[in-house]
Amino acid sequence: MQRISVFFATAALMLLATLNTAHAAGDPAAGREKSQTCAACHGENGNSQNSMYPKLAGQHPSYLYHALQGYKSGKRENAVMNGLASNLSEQDMRDLAAYYGSLEGDLHTLPLGD
Amino acid sequence: MTKRRASALAATLAGLMVAGGAQAEGDPQKGRYAAQTCLGCHGIPDQANVYPTYKVPMLGGQHSEYIVSSLEAYRSGARPHPTMQAQARALTEQEIQDIAAYFASIDQSR
Repeated sequence: MQRISVFFATAALMLLATLNTAHAAGDPAAGREKSQTCAACHGENGNSQNSMYPKLAGQHPSYLYHALQGYKSGKRENAVMNGLASNLSEQDMRDLAAYYGSLEGDLHTLPLGD
Repeated sequence: MTKRRASALAATLAGLMVAGGAQAEGDPQKGRYAAQTCLGCHGIPDQANVYPTYKVPMLGGQHSEYIVSSLEAYRSGARPHPTMQAQARALTEQEIQDIAAYFASIDQSR
């Protein structure tokens, strides 16, 4: 009996892990297709030329996704981004985050002991 | 009278431009010191934020005007992160400018 419930618990956890991975994965190629609007401000390759708009190239996808979620929900207020993100699906945001994260850019972690 | 008014206006405008210029200019050297606290999270590669979980953004090489507007948004509450709100509210206008100038000045090659 106990062995059976352990088996089911393990199976359930494995299933959840699989679902979670599938959910988390964005497709960079699909993101590229969806990035036309973003490019107007954030640059063709995510390396914005205008100091007002953040560079996105090479940024952590999990952060980009989190930011988009905030813009979509309205928790993160920005007149332009709230409107744009409201049209994005969950998958769109994953794909865009994966795409911009995959690009080469200037961004990096702050240097320590500098 | 009109001439005097015009010159007063010109003087005011000139004063505003100087003040505006002084504020817009951040000093990367001062920013380097003001940014010490930032390093605790933004200086650790792949450092994770929790609840929700995501990697804290890389800020080295980011545009200065964007950093300024982000910090202002945390300060006003337009961005929700409690730690960042507290950090941003502890900074002066000038420190925000300096930190932004420092982040923008950091070159990846170093």
